[in-house]
Order: sequence, then structure tokens, then C-alpha cells
Amino acid sequence: MGGKVTCTLGEVKQKADFIVYWGGNPAECHPRHFTKYTIMRKSKFLPNGRKDRTMVLVDIRETKSAKAADVFLQVRPGKDFELLTILRALIKDQPVDNDRIPETGLTRDVLDDLIRRMKAAKFGCMFFGMGLSMTCGKHMNSAALLTLVAELNAFTKFVAMPMRGHGNVTGADVIMRWQTGYPFGITFNRGYPRYNPGEFSTVDVLVRGDCDAAFIIGADPGGTMPQPAIDHLKRIPTIVLDPHITFTSRLARVHITTAPQGIAAPGTAYRMDELPLPLKPALKSPYPTDEDVVRRINAALDAKPFWLPEDGRPRMLTAQV
Amino acid sequence: MMRITGGRVYDPANGIDGAVKELRIDDHGRFVDAIEGGRTIDATGMIVFPGGVDVHTHVAGGAINFARAMTPEDHRRTQAFIRTKNRRSGLGGMAPTTFATGYLYAGMGWTTVNEAAVPVLSARHTHEELGDIPIVDKSTLALMANNEILLDQLEAGEYERARSVVAWYIWAAKAYGVKAVNPGGVAAWKWGHDAKQLTSPISGYDTLTPGRIITQLARICDDLGLPHPMHLHCNNLGAPGNIATTLDTLRHLEGSRAHIAHSQYHAYGGDGWDSIRSASRQLADYFNAHPGLTTDAGAVLFGDTVTITADGPWQHLLYKLTGRKWGNLDVENETGCGIVPYTYRPSNLVNAVQWATGLELLLLIRDPFQAFLSTDHPNGGCFWRYPEIIKLLMCADFRNECMAKLPEAIRRRIVLPEIDREYTLYEIAASMSAGPARALGLSKKGNLGIGCDADLVIYDADDDAARMFSRPRYVIKGGEIVIEDGEIRETPQGREFLVRPPCDPDIDAFMRPLFEDRYTMSFENYPVEIERIEHADVRPCAPAP
Ligand SMILES: [Zn+2]
Repeated sequence: MGGKVTCTLGEVKQKADFIVYWGGNPAECHPRHFTKYTIMRKSKFLPNGRKDRTMVLVDIRETKSAKAADVFLQVRPGKDFELLTILRALIKDQPVDNDRIPETGLTRDVLDDLIRRMKAAKFGCMFFGMGLSMTCGKHMNSAALLTLVAELNAFTKFVAMPMRGHGNVTGADVIMRWQTGYPFGITFNRGYPRYNPGEFSTVDVLVRGDCDAAFIIGADPGGTMPQPAIDHLKRIPTIVLDPHITFTSRLARVHITTAPQGIAAPGTAYRMDELPLPLKPALKSPYPTDEDVVRRINAALDAKPFWLPEDGRPRMLTAQV
Repeated sequence: MMRITGGRVYDPANGIDGAVKELRIDDHGRFVDAIEGGRTIDATGMIVFPGGVDVHTHVAGGAINFARAMTPEDHRRTQAFIRTKNRRSGLGGMAPTTFATGYLYAGMGWTTVNEAAVPVLSARHTHEELGDIPIVDKSTLALMANNEILLDQLEAGEYERARSVVAWYIWAAKAYGVKAVNPGGVAAWKWGHDAKQLTSPISGYDTLTPGRIITQLARICDDLGLPHPMHLHCNNLGAPGNIATTLDTLRHLEGSRAHIAHSQYHAYGGDGWDSIRSASRQLADYFNAHPGLTTDAGAVLFGDTVTITADGPWQHLLYKLTGRKWGNLDVENETGCGIVPYTYRPSNLVNAVQWATGLELLLLIRDPFQAFLSTDHPNGGCFWRYPEIIKLLMCADFRNECMAKLPEAIRRRIVLPEIDREYTLYEIAASMSAGPARALGLSKKGNLGIGCDADLVIYDADDDAARMFSRPRYVIKGGEIVIEDGEIRETPQGREFLVRPPCDPDIDAFMRPLFEDRYTMSFENYPVEIERIEHADVRPCAPAP
């Protein structure tokens, strides 16, 4: 990750008078977003709610969210990066060749109007969704948007926030970071954490057939991963912890049924803005929690002879780049 | 049980300065008068110190974890801890991973650390990370000086209510004390502004000024009887000429207890980046005349680091100055935080002034029970570089050697060349352990007296202070040998200190509607449950009658 200028959702709810959704369809994908956090919300600083807030939608097609927007900008598919780069130049009054604008699907007047509105905002927030971060250019697009937002702070307050999917993906990312320094795509095969997405990400390890066992918690790769990865999961001993029967549990050698998180198992979930929320179970389950199972496996492993060499001294990593 | 014989003991809390003295430890990890049997460590010719206490560091929580995410390239050229039977793997570097943080602190002889900036809203996260930092004992400070619910009470003149609000937040966070960062300035930053004048109302308020927040919050901490006074990061951090703001702040604090964080960043003269110079003499004079006041240096060391602070507007400025990556996270109702990677270069005049100012403050403030070793980790440098600072304090020749490498123009801007003081071992022990422990109100830390926690460090005597302090012969935590000859022997789980200050029983009813308006989390889910804290140790408060 490069830089990121962001906030928790409560700041948006209290203060954002200018809200951009870029490459997302909140009206259908996050139906409570408008009323809980953004345009419909009244606050001490924005007492008239919707009337005090401006909403801009940037997307390749006119979704239901466009009806809620004050301004809808239909960007040509695959031209997000170009549009973001032009906006970065325009906010700084750098010359932009008029010929470069039509390929984005928008006009100079529309962009000038957007720049004027962004600079006039007291507190702007850009939410960016899968439509931006998962299309061609992927992380280049998100990086360009994050840079635009950072640079807007020379003129007014501006923040950016990704619209993440569901589940506790953020929680896994947060904890891996504090224990290993990296969010995902980590290997411990030399006894310490190393990071290389594309090489050590689960899907790459499976497709190459590099691992000789798989232990899966809270995920269903059997439903989403490419066929060669699934084939490898079938070949090796795959162990799944899941409250439900899933694609992965069907192909696994062992499926341990566990109590569902948040419903019958306590813990912490991290929201998309990385706020930790406690999970307080409402029901009791006859099944053990994921945590119980992992602790019992760890205890059993501790009883076995230790397998790593006993050379304990830390060492400097200098050879790697 | 254990006895340590023959060592030269430096125990400033008890006025012991290098006397040969036997120490005895019982099975509860406490120093006692007499024991029967047990292991004996022959420390003849060695030096015995109380375990180090870091009064101001950033090792756990959303901000440092944000920094870890922003600096993956740093992790690749750093110390790696390889998994062994009694040790988890991890990485050192500018923002070490949690397990490595515990190993690195203990490996250097530090046994207690105070995480100095916790947003209450994400305190649950901070405590989860602290649970993964082994060996050392820990405490946390909750960020309060930009909390809008509190500021509203202060603006309305509702002092008693404000005091209960602070008490409520401390217990909700399961914190040990109160941190104030750029009072009013972070709240103003939520609108893209700052608060540089102590007497001007802050953005979003009609009459409330930073000066008023400072005096009221210091008084609240005193009236609640918190073991540690208000821990203050002054307004105008890092800016040329900010000595005026800092001295003005200190005058606002007369009559209250206070700890001034990382004072190096608040002791500059001049009126712009071209004319910045050290104003350490003025600040040190103030401390020398006010013996109750404490500070930590926030010293700077040359090299790469990553800066993280709740001071959002300062980080935006640093981003504009450096053009490097910028992370910013505003936390609803409460605070903010900014992250910018940074390299301090000896060739850069501003950085050279900062380097000298930190050392000057430590050398010019006469009483080491007032001025403590810190780098405001990782802001001025990483905590595992403390032995370098110790050498700079103990050896004037080494300082002069380092100064010779700086640009000639630096000499008119600093006073370091005029200072020939060299710290004694006794003074180092006071500045790295006994002093910060006393300032934190941790009476059983930084003290080798009977009844205190048996946290101590034993060094082989060595003329090179940096080498001596970076490789202790033994580190003992709670009576257990955790480091021996540079090897990690045991990794016990430390305690976490916190307080439950007295508060108006109706405060929940008062907070709930305000909370529901401002926050995006349910009121019931907000306070961290005490069961979530590993080895919680609730310390008493001594409220004003
Ligand atoms: Zn700090």
C-alpha cells in the first residue's frame, strides 16, 4: 500500500458535505450506506441532511445509485485512470490538452464543474468500489484516486475510503500485519515471514501445486478459485473449519463443523474502516469455535518433537530486494 | 528464587550509585530481604540496573499497524526473528511486528513500555496487539484533547461533567492515563485547519481555546488522582519558533502536574525553515526552575524511520515538505493520526538542528529524574537505537566526532558544542528507568528496593556504552531470566496496567444520546471488556477529596 488519507465512517456522517462514489453501486450493494453514514444523514454540522450534502456518482453505467446522485459522471469503461490523472492536473491548474478529455466519455465543462465543486466543499469523501479497484489497471486506479485525494488536501479537507465486501477480510489483514508486517501473500518456509503477492498468495501456491496440505478457515476457495487450484486441493489433505457445507468442505479430506462466528462464537470483527467491533454471541452452539479447534491442534503439535533448527539468533536480511 | 551477587548496583530510586550489593528475589518475582536456596548469579565485575521503562513509545494499535502496511520495503532489509521452540517469528525495522517488539525491548534490557496514543474507539485493537507483545509490562494513554464530546463540555463551562466524561473514557478504553495531542488542533484538522495560538478559539467552537483545554484537562487528571499526570504533546510541533508556544503552554500548566512529551520537537527558535535553530536552553531553564515537571527527549537519530502521530496537520505539512507517502486516519469524535516515512539526514540543516536539540535537552536539564530517554519511537528513530543515544550522552568525545560530520553552518544554530557534561551510569539509570517509572506513578518499577518487581538488567562492563547497552548479559523480568548472553530464554506474558477513576454514576445516561449521535458503533459495544485485557492490573487512583 502507498499512502492513504482516510477516516472512520463517523467523520463522514458528521461532516462530509461532498460525497463521491466511484465505481460502486451503494443503492444496491450497501443499501444502508446512504441512511447510516452519508447523504441522508443529519448532524450537528449538516442539520438539513440531504439538502446540505452533494453526491457525485462516477461509474461506467447508470445504476440505481445514479438516481440518488446530484451529479452522475458516466466514465468510458477502462478510462478511470485517465480521468483521475486529468483531474489531478486540473486541480493544480496544470495545462490539459482538450483532445485528451473526450476519450474519458466526459466534457471539459463537466470536469471544470466537478473541480469547482470539490474545491468548494468543506469536507469531501470519495468512496471507491470494486468497479474501480477490480477493473483493468486495478491497483493503479486505486493509487491514482488515493493520490488525487491526498493532493486535494492542499485546497480543502478530503478523504478516501474503499467499499469492501462482507465478512472479516479486514480483520485477517489487520492481524497478519501486526504479527508479520504484511497483510496476505506470506510464507513462513524459512522460519520468518516473507511477502510476495503473486508468488505466495494462496491461489498461486495452489495452482503451482507447491503445498502438500491445506488448512482453511472462514473461506470457500472451492467456490471461487480457478480449476487447477481446486484440483490441487482435491489431491492433498485439505482440512476445512466451517459451520456450513461448502464447495470446499465437499472436496476436503476432513471437515470440522464449527460454531458460526458472531452468532454462536465470540470474537472481534474489523469493519471496512478498520474499527474493531466485538462479536457477542446470541446463541449457544453444540459445535466448538474455530478458536477452540485451532488451540487444540496447536496443543497437539506442541506435544510433537520440534521440527525447526535451534539456531535462535535474529539475523539481518540484506541479500533480498 | 534467585540471588545476584557481586555486581555494582545502580539504583537511583534508592540513591544507590555503584555500590556492590546482593539482590534477592522470591518466587513471586519480588525483591526480598532474605531467601533460602535458589540459583545464584555471580555478577562480579558486572553492572546491575533496574529494567528500562519507556515513558513514550508507539508499539501497538491502528496507527503503527497503518505504518507497517505502508512500509513493506523496509521489512525486507531488517532483522528477522526466526521461529524457535519458545519464540514466534517476526520482523524488526522501523515498525517492528508485535512479537519482535517484545523481543527487541527485552533484548535491550527494557521491561516496561507505555503506549502513548490510543484512540478510545479502537482501543480494543490496541489491547489485542499488546496481548501479542511478549515479556514487557505495558500501559496505555487515551487520546482526549480533541474529543468533541469533552470539548463541548469544556466550552459550556461544565467542569464536573467534563471530569466524569474523561473518567468514563479512560475506563472504556481500559487505559492507564490521558494523552493530549495538539489540543484543539486535531479537532480543527477535521476541517483542514490547525490550532497554533493558545488564545484563539478553535475551528468549530465559539470560545474554546487550546489554552483552556490544556489547563482544564491537566486539572481533571489531577482531580481524578491519576497515577500519571496529563501527558502533553504541545501545539505547534516541529515548527520553527515554536519555543514561544511551548513556554506559553508551560505557563498555562503552573499549579498542575504534567509530563511534556518529546520536547525536542517543541524547542526551536528562528522564524522559518531557513533560520530554524535550537532553543533548548530556554526550555531547559524552565525545567530546571520547575522540578515537578517531567519530559522525555523525543531525540532524533540520523537514518530512515516512519513518523506517526495523532497530529494530523503536522503530518500533512511533512508530506508537503517531503513529497513522500502520506497516510492519514481521522477517528470520529476523538482524534486523528498521520503517517509519513522520513529520513533524517546529517546534511540537512533542519535535521541536524533536531539531532542536536534532543541531546541538548537531555544534557541541559540537570535532574535525570526530569528528562527521560526517548525517541518518540518511531518518530525520531527506532527504540532499538537507544544505546546509541546513551553513548552520545556518556561520551563528549563521541558527540564531538559526530558533530564534526555536520555542515559547518550548524554551529551557529545549536549549543551542543558548548556542553561538556557526560552522563554517569547513575544518571543513565535514572533517565532510562527510575525517572520514567516515577513519572508514570509505577512505584514498583525502576526500583531495586524490597517489595518491588524484580525487573533488572545486568551488563558486562564495557568502555563502549553503545555496545554495553545493546547486549546485556542477563535480563530478568519478574524474577525470571528472559535474556541470557543475547539469547531469548523465556517469553512470559507481561501485565497491562490500567486505572478506573471515580465517575458520576449517571454518566452512562448522559453519554448515551451524545454517543449515538456522533458515533457509528453501538454504545454497548464501545467499552473494552476487562476480560479482553491479558493480565490486567488495575492500579489505584488518589482522587482529590
Ligand atoms: Zn508520540
